[in-house]
Amino acid sequence: MSLLPRLPVPRFSRHFASSAARALATPVQKPVLNKEFKIYRWNPDEPAKKPTLQSYTIDLNQTGPMILDALIKIKNEIDPTLTFRRSCREGICGSCAMNIDGQNTLACLCRIDRKEGKDSKIYPLPHMYVVKDLVPDLTQFYKQYKSIKPYLQNPNPPADGKEFLQSPEDRKKLDGMYECILCACCSTSCPSYWWNQDEYLGPATLMQAYRWIADSRDSHTAERREVLQNEMSLYRCHTIFNCTRTCPKGLNPAQAIAKIKIELAAE
Amino acid sequence: MASSSLASSSKRAFARRSPAFTKFLLASRPASTKPDDVGLYVPGGPVYKGTVNDPTTFPTPSRTHGSHHWSFERLLSAALIPLTGAAFATSPSVHPVLDGILGMSLVVHSHMGFDSMVVDYLHPRKFPVLGPTATWTLRSATVTALIGIYQFNTNDIGLTELISKVWSA
Repeated sequence: MSLLPRLPVPRFSRHFASSAARALATPVQKPVLNKEFKIYRWNPDEPAKKPTLQSYTIDLNQTGPMILDALIKIKNEIDPTLTFRRSCREGICGSCAMNIDGQNTLACLCRIDRKEGKDSKIYPLPHMYVVKDLVPDLTQFYKQYKSIKPYLQNPNPPADGKEFLQSPEDRKKLDGMYECILCACCSTSCPSYWWNQDEYLGPATLMQAYRWIADSRDSHTAERREVLQNEMSLYRCHTIFNCTRTCPKGLNPAQAIAKIKIELAAE
Repeated sequence: MASSSLASSSKRAFARRSPAFTKFLLASRPASTKPDDVGLYVPGGPVYKGTVNDPTTFPTPSRTHGSHHWSFERLLSAALIPLTGAAFATSPSVHPVLDGILGMSLVVHSHMGFDSMVVDYLHPRKFPVLGPTATWTLRSATVTALIGIYQFNTNDIGLTELISKVWSA
């Protein structure tokens, strides 16, 4: 187009582009912006070898904007042995939860800090048993989730054989709890969960426990409350609020736990 | 089933942040795991009760250790604020009972706080000797402090008077 000679264009017509059109023979060459990623490595095939931080340097201008993009680039182009979980790349599956620069979050929702000369440290979720590299063992977490019976318990279905009805107000009580994707960022940021995770349920599981306590359609509310009446399962929460601070989905597990405590006290 | 899952999981168990800890585990972890070890706490290894598909279990429900304990703790903490104000506003020598209640509440409040720390960090399931020792040390210290408060209140000037004297000294 611009190879054509410039024709004098009458100025009375409006143009959509305010600047003159330019054509380039070569694509835009962005400057190199190298960044160092220090990533926790541990291989179960060499159990006697100490876990180490391995350093990778990549060009941010040839990488997507998120930490997960950087990890995938490293795995594809530099080191295929780097191991991590990922699936949806849009913060809905909860697979890529890890500790990035000291904060538990989802790698796919965490932007790379583009500040020059600043490295990023990536660890697996804190205080969990590590399967390999950035993959934590979440077995206990899932066993605990199972223990609170995360499903509707109501032996008396409606007479018309259709669904359980719920008022808009009752439905509103579940907002902020049903969105949880069980990425375990909150539970693994909780010091109480670090020390006592074999007995204390942790914020993620407790918020789901309250999600079913608060559900107007569930008829086992009393049993659900009763199992929490002990020293360890619920009351190891000391309102530290790390859970709420770290939640990559912006939920508030601490508030759900506080509501359980108030409901148990009011019984 | 449970013991085989234990054996397979024990290989992963070395993956801790602390390298020294891994070394310690390699040295100390027994080669075979007896089935009756299931349920005991083993440092460094995930010990699942039952298989990986079984849910975790809950302790026996007890309101004394559950909601009643929590409510009492919170009410006591809240009550300490007006109690402290009242004890300092009134003359302590005229109201020795108020002074005694303040002293007692402070000791019970501290006892519950320390007890929470013992449960958090020195639970008997992890520390079969140190845990109960810490609990009973705390209990005897609390009883001693309560006796001390009583003696100080009946035979001497009492807590509030002492603090106001130290304050103005």
